[in-house]
Amino acid sequence: MNFTRRAALMTSAAIAANVVDPFRAFAQTTPRKGGVFVVHYGAEQRQLNPSIQASTGVYIVSGKIQEPLVDLDAAGNPVGVLAESWESTPDGKTITFKLRRNVTWHDGKPFTSADVQFTAMEMWKKVLNYGTTLQLFLTAVDTPDAHTAIFRYERPMPLNLLLRALPDLGYITAKHLYETGDVRQNPLNLAPVGTGPFKFVQYERGQHIIADRHDGYWKGPANLDRIVWRVITDRSAAAAQMEAGQLHYSPFSGLTISDMARLAKDRRFIVSTKGNEGNARTNTLEFNFRRRELADIKVRQAIAHAINVPFFIENFLGDFAKLGTGPIPSVSTDFYPGANTPQYPYDKAKAIRLLDEAGVRPGAGGTRLTLRLLPAPWGEDISLWATFIQQSLGEVGIRVEVVRNDGGGFLKSVYADHAFDLATGWHQYRNDPAVSTTVWYRSGQPAGAPWTNQWGWKDDVIDKVIDDAATEVDPVKRKALYAEFVTKANAALPLWMPIEQIFVTTITARARNHSNTPRWGSSSWHDLWLAE
Amino acid sequence: MEVVRAYFRSPAAIVGLFLLLVVIAMAASAGWLFPRDPLALAGRPLVWPFTNPRFPLGTDNSGRDIAAQIFYGARISLLIGGVATVIAVFIGIVIGAVSGYYGGWVDNVLMRITEAFQTLPNFLLLLVLIAVFGSNINTVIIAIGIVSWPAPARLTRAEFLSLRNREFVQAGRTLGLKDLKLIFGEILPNALPPVIVYASVVMAVSILLESALAFLRLSDPNVASWGNLIGLGRDVLRVQWYVSAIPGIAILLTVLAVSLVGQGLNDALNPRLKGR
Repeated sequence: MNFTRRAALMTSAAIAANVVDPFRAFAQTTPRKGGVFVVHYGAEQRQLNPSIQASTGVYIVSGKIQEPLVDLDAAGNPVGVLAESWESTPDGKTITFKLRRNVTWHDGKPFTSADVQFTAMEMWKKVLNYGTTLQLFLTAVDTPDAHTAIFRYERPMPLNLLLRALPDLGYITAKHLYETGDVRQNPLNLAPVGTGPFKFVQYERGQHIIADRHDGYWKGPANLDRIVWRVITDRSAAAAQMEAGQLHYSPFSGLTISDMARLAKDRRFIVSTKGNEGNARTNTLEFNFRRRELADIKVRQAIAHAINVPFFIENFLGDFAKLGTGPIPSVSTDFYPGANTPQYPYDKAKAIRLLDEAGVRPGAGGTRLTLRLLPAPWGEDISLWATFIQQSLGEVGIRVEVVRNDGGGFLKSVYADHAFDLATGWHQYRNDPAVSTTVWYRSGQPAGAPWTNQWGWKDDVIDKVIDDAATEVDPVKRKALYAEFVTKANAALPLWMPIEQIFVTTITARARNHSNTPRWGSSSWHDLWLAE
Repeated sequence: MEVVRAYFRSPAAIVGLFLLLVVIAMAASAGWLFPRDPLALAGRPLVWPFTNPRFPLGTDNSGRDIAAQIFYGARISLLIGGVATVIAVFIGIVIGAVSGYYGGWVDNVLMRITEAFQTLPNFLLLLVLIAVFGSNINTVIIAIGIVSWPAPARLTRAEFLSLRNREFVQAGRTLGLKDLKLIFGEILPNALPPVIVYASVVMAVSILLESALAFLRLSDPNVASWGNLIGLGRDVLRVQWYVSAIPGIAILLTVLAVSLVGQGLNDALNPRLKGR
């Protein structure tokens, strides 16, 4: 029995590639109506409104209930949802959306341009993580009639960027339900009301969320009767429930690596990265500059040099991951600048030399420094990576204490209270660096906005490059600006992104019309159905 | 001497003592046999036991040597068992002694408090304490001690109730001994044997409580404990079951050892069982 994880990973990848298509070939053609689709919900969020929090943990639920202006089609091109068409003036400062008619909210009120205006100005621009940066130069949304919304920008907004951002950052919330009071405190944030194919029924915290088919959906009723999200924090238990038929779908690499490899060999399941291309991610190592030692670039460089990333990937993550080279992953063909930017290959001697130069010298017992590391609780790879960081830094005299939290606690400690020295989680790359990547580097993020620059670090030059790139209408110049951004960001190293991965989906082979868009887990599932 | 001879009359007690000595020897030799940090990366993750001579018990899913973690884990288990038991027994003795000696309203108040603790399932109380104070190994040990004191308290109280009116106590009183001297100098030594026996139960339960916490990933992840290894092994339980099974066996044997020693002590110290 010399069965290594690596061997398992390799076979699984090969199988995953083969399994998907045969099922397509024999697929029934008429969708079956009815059925309950049960989804693994691994990490609960403090709220579920996608206009206020951009996160796959929110979209996986509310993406069925609320809808964005634009989504991506199978080929990854923008396709209208609540917007029917759009156009931009040549200077890029005015973008007009024609909105879909005869769409109603689940409470029966009509959807109009006032909802778009309210959501854009009060939520995307003021509260939504990533949105606050994306819409930094949005000055107004004009509504000449109920079905036209005109976005006015102070600096040019590339239409391509906006259309790639809106599938995630373009969810609309009903104005009439949010007009009064703080939008962040609205109780509907945990009981979302939308225009989507499913309407919210119940949220039992720690147990489940239920949504039922909305018969008045503008595209026609969905195939499924009901979707149930079951809160299961124990990944092994989730795998056992998949096998028992109690769960149909575990999104976003929610199972353990060894269980995904095992289920990939089981004909009842499909294990694949398909349908997640729009959610490439990198593993991060985030530094808190309020900690004096970490504000020294040499200490951060030393930490990066002390960690043998290729060894970690080869032995722990296998084919599901590859070496990362910076904030823009290699899957982004439009923006990837290549690996010719500052990198930090494993070099223990150099790490020790850098620490000595920084004056961080060994004290009692050879310990130079003690740091608290907060790993995000989603994904087994984060937990393994946290342990690997702990082990690697121990070798150069940096003692790491791992502090574990639940999802909400992690986001609060790191991004609101800044009570961490090191943190690690996922950065998600969403088709364009300006959507959810540059916010990790741009200064001026409000405290509490998750997955943004909360490091206590600011670099005016990098801020300027980010702003220029986000407002550059010429694609060639934009690409060059992002190459410059990656070079500077890797050199300054406010956080480190040394691993890139694509999420893995585990889904029952009975599901049809699944994984058919690049952000399928987040999409509305109006055409999803379950075969007998 | 009589007690020692009585103890060694029972084969189970001898096995228990032997196992306990083995665990203590493991704890003592850990630093010498495995000079490296047991949580450090040792090699490839998930090497099966007996396949690589460098890792006789294999490696876990973080590439750590399981054998090293078992040896260092013995230290943590003994530390938890020992310190938590001392805390629990100390609190228990003080409360039980005062309560049993004075009786009356003092007894009433203290016993109602003890009952309040007893009505709460101790694992739930432990989870609350850990949630509030954090999962550092020191807080874990103290919390385990705090949730384990009611039973020793009741036991001590019962002993005191039966001893407080004996002649030697009356004699001490007529000689003018202070309460404190009477409680801790005269009565306590006579009440101690059953409490010592019960301490072995507390110790075994303490080790299990820490393992249960670690299984839920609520124990201190920065120490090599058997419970942590089981909790970590949960992710690979279906295929690489040995990651959880090996520390599981270690816990089983240690708890068994402590229980057998406790049983042996009970047989040896209990005068009513003499001569059997």
